Amino acid sequence: MNNLIEKQVPKRHLPKHLIIVLVASIILLCLCVVASLAFGARFVSWNELLTGLFHPEIESFSSSVVQERIPRTIFSLLCGAALGVSGALMQSVTRNPIADPSILGVNTGAALFVVCGIAFFQISSAAEYIWFAIVGAMLTAIFVYGIGSMGSSGATPLKLVLAGAATSAALSSLVSAIMLSRTYVMDQFRFWQVGSVGSANWNLILTFLPFLVVGILLAIMTASALNALALGDEVATGQGVRTGMIRLIAAFAGVILCGAATALAGPIGFVGLLAMHLMRLILGADLRFTIPMSAISGAVILTIADIAGRIIGSPGELEAGVVTAFIGAPLLIFLAIRMKVRSL
Amino acid sequence: MKTIHQFETKEVVAGYDQKTILHGLDVEIPSNKINVIIGANACGKSTLLKTMARLIKPQSGQVILDGKSIDQIPPKQLARVLGILPQSPIVPEGITVTDLVGRGRYPHQKMFSGWSKKDYEAVAEAMEIMNIAELADRNIDELSGGQRQRVWIAMALTQQTDILFLDEPTTFLDIAYQVEILDLLTDLNRKYGTTIVMVLHDINLSARYADYIFALEKGQLIAEGEPSQVITTDLVKKVFGLDCTVINDPVSLSPMVVPRGRYHVQVNESL
Repeated sequence: MNNLIEKQVPKRHLPKHLIIVLVASIILLCLCVVASLAFGARFVSWNELLTGLFHPEIESFSSSVVQERIPRTIFSLLCGAALGVSGALMQSVTRNPIADPSILGVNTGAALFVVCGIAFFQISSAAEYIWFAIVGAMLTAIFVYGIGSMGSSGATPLKLVLAGAATSAALSSLVSAIMLSRTYVMDQFRFWQVGSVGSANWNLILTFLPFLVVGILLAIMTASALNALALGDEVATGQGVRTGMIRLIAAFAGVILCGAATALAGPIGFVGLLAMHLMRLILGADLRFTIPMSAISGAVILTIADIAGRIIGSPGELEAGVVTAFIGAPLLIFLAIRMKVRSL
Repeated sequence: MKTIHQFETKEVVAGYDQKTILHGLDVEIPSNKINVIIGANACGKSTLLKTMARLIKPQSGQVILDGKSIDQIPPKQLARVLGILPQSPIVPEGITVTDLVGRGRYPHQKMFSGWSKKDYEAVAEAMEIMNIAELADRNIDELSGGQRQRVWIAMALTQQTDILFLDEPTTFLDIAYQVEILDLLTDLNRKYGTTIVMVLHDINLSARYADYIFALEKGQLIAEGEPSQVITTDLVKKVFGLDCTVINDPVSLSPMVVPRGRYHVQVNESL
């Protein structure tokens, strides 16, 4: 009997390509960092890059360009990681493959609160933005989920997306209304509104970091319970998961991640959608791997989008949020069509 | 052999929202047996099963495991004694057989611990019992209905509970698969002593496979006992409103219900 069992034991309960994916994504991350430091309105050569990085005391124009691109690069990585994990969490909590902070309108809610804060409460520091954004994101998430789960069939994926889209449209028109009548706010926020990581500095990164760490830690802690929840509430309850509590914690983590990212970079859409789907495609359905790995894929996606925006928009630059929307929107349509086929 | 447990409900009143379906039910589940709950549609059999498996919180009354109300037992600890396979669990997209079966180990794992040797063994054993070892790397979407159900039961088995609840495990399966699943569940009961409590639609398969039957009508328990004592023409009339003749199943000698409809009735006397 023992022999029999030994023979049949599945080799390892790890996704097939985990090691390859890990190595590949680390290489990709490094490439992204190099590219992000080198490309832009002014292209920096390899030698200049190394000098700028390791000999900051040698003053030159290229060196200061590199210096300036360092916080931007780090911030885009962190921000992408936050959005990637946030999307993964929202997809898991709502059991909805097309959930994403932007699709559910949570980003817009965060943005509205920041704009209100600036227009009416004279907030001006990054930390203040974050708290306003998180409250806004949270209220919007509750509102959209409430609307989406009205009616007999509960919160179906399609109803949630419709509620999110409608809410998002309404809230962004409010954002416009507030900004249009106040030109000083508008100047300040033209870039922010579309979602750009270009204005990053070290102070911003330090303010952002604790939210990122808390969010990702909560995500990792809830991942295996979310695995159970993916099989339905009844199975999860039967396995001893406190379903309401886990949903609450995971949703909270998703909201603070996207709220903090939105507060500092403006609403950037579709990163969560792209990041999680990429990981699911490669690694399979086990959330203990796909959720943390969505941080890496999100970081890579946003950084590539930022670099692409700098190249396409040269000599100025195209905001990263525009680029991600450009890639993300077709994916959303593709997923929606496929869902219909699976008659969800 | 699985531990013997005392499992019972005390005056359980349960239902959905405002609607009460079970009106004060006292049920005691015989340990290490195959128990089947039968009854007409909407009689509350599924509600009873879900209440016992703590998927529904009773409006009043208690579900008691070894003298302790189940809502006083920490959920993970309870999940190591009670397992449930609901009627329609959700299949996550792109999940493999091994991944799905392994998820039954959740109540045995700590938050950050990886898979232990015990986990691997439990998965291998469950796949062996359900005869799905060769499907290990397959995607669930590719499987037939019968294979899929075996995978789900295997998942419930890796939880290694002493008591296993199943809500209509044979629905949507053709007759051959129904018999296969019920045979496998019987293996489980005979080999390991797992207490099985299930809702079945087919009264003849219930009579054949059950050691003990609970018959429900309108949220009340109206009969319980061994199939040979419970399944009678009177009971079928009362529970299902159906005129029938009960004969001995020529294969298993258990009672077998032969319905008498309005047509094709050639023999009027009860056999």
